[in-house]
Amino acid sequence: MFDSLRNKKSEPTVLSDMLTKQRRYDSLVRALHTDIFRYAYWLIGDKHIAEDVTQETFLRAWRALDSLKDDKAAKAWLITILRRENARRFERKQFDYSDVEQELLEDEKSSTNEEQTEQYWLRKQIGQLEVEYREPLLLQLIGGFSGEEIADLLELNRNTVMTRLFRARNQLKDALESPEVRGQSNG
Amino acid sequence: MDDLKFRRHAYGDPNSQDEEFLAQISASESDAKLVNELKALDSKLTNALNIDVPDDLADKLILRQQLSKHQQQKKHTRYLMAMAASVALVIGLSVSMLRFTPVDLAEHALAHVYHEPKAMNVDQNVGFEDVNFKLAGIGGLENAKFIQQPGKVFYTSYCDFQGVKSLHLVMEGEQGKVTLFIIPTENRMVTEESFADQNYHGLGFQTADTFMLLVGEQDADLQYVKNEIEQTFI
Repeated sequence: MFDSLRNKKSEPTVLSDMLTKQRRYDSLVRALHTDIFRYAYWLIGDKHIAEDVTQETFLRAWRALDSLKDDKAAKAWLITILRRENARRFERKQFDYSDVEQELLEDEKSSTNEEQTEQYWLRKQIGQLEVEYREPLLLQLIGGFSGEEIADLLELNRNTVMTRLFRARNQLKDALESPEVRGQSNG
Repeated sequence: MDDLKFRRHAYGDPNSQDEEFLAQISASESDAKLVNELKALDSKLTNALNIDVPDDLADKLILRQQLSKHQQQKKHTRYLMAMAASVALVIGLSVSMLRFTPVDLAEHALAHVYHEPKAMNVDQNVGFEDVNFKLAGIGGLENAKFIQQPGKVFYTSYCDFQGVKSLHLVMEGEQGKVTLFIIPTENRMVTEESFADQNYHGLGFQTADTFMLLVGEQDADLQYVKNEIEQTFI
């Protein structure tokens, strides 16, 4: 009875609202899930947890989709949700995934050639960066954000962000250029 | 741009399009080399960061959202049903409250007399047949009637005693007018045998199926009308 009353008047507009929202969500997922998942992975260091957090992030995004006014800001918005979601994970579970010192990377492909070896090694290096250096770098390289945008997202000032980016690249570059260290950490 | 600032800038964002920065690159070969190295590092890093994304992730994300939407809709429907149910419950309760709360007839009768002053001022000279006709229209009083004229009747109309349809008569007493209410008996009715306020006295009694309430200025009038009714009303 109530259904028929409810449907009579408002169904067409509600339905089209729902459809618009659904389409918006679908395109958000298609366009950004790769970046969001990669960001989550590099932030967290575990594929399964990264997938869970990505799921939670998008579910929250769906529920709050009406609050996203500007689609251009969608990526930053999702990353904000993701960072909050990740922080919540630590509140929920008391045990510590403490960054990425544990085996960050599943050794899926046994390194067959030098390029793969180098990439494997480089991934390990990225994973070993302190999270405060790693995160701005991820935002710049995965997210494509500018210094100001990163500063906004991380609630830091721009100079701090630039300093952290400097240190991050500096460490990685040094590591790449000193083969002994590479040998050690690889061994 | 001094060297330190340049290096900071280059390491911070080797792809910067800042004019001063670009000028420095074109001016100094070694600076250009550094920036190229950093760009090469960035492309290696970007490759390294581009880990494989599970193939079905996008589908999973949409599926999960669809499930949650479905559940929300179900919740919404449940919510509506719950609202409807509680509204119905409230209506049901208040109707039964209205029907089953005790009705103090005495108080109500006095209030009614005050409320309808015109009843005391008209003279319709109603015959007892008319009164019987009206009585027959009241649920519970279909069989009640006057067998003969109970003195003069000035006025008659239906009235409402807290949801109970009853009959309002104005009759002639010895000296003044007396208001008579005839109310079908219900369990929740309570009344006193006699009651009064500053202006009126009242008398209540019960016959077979009805409550009779008399309201008048003089006790004598009330007794007089009561006698008449007892003789004529069955």
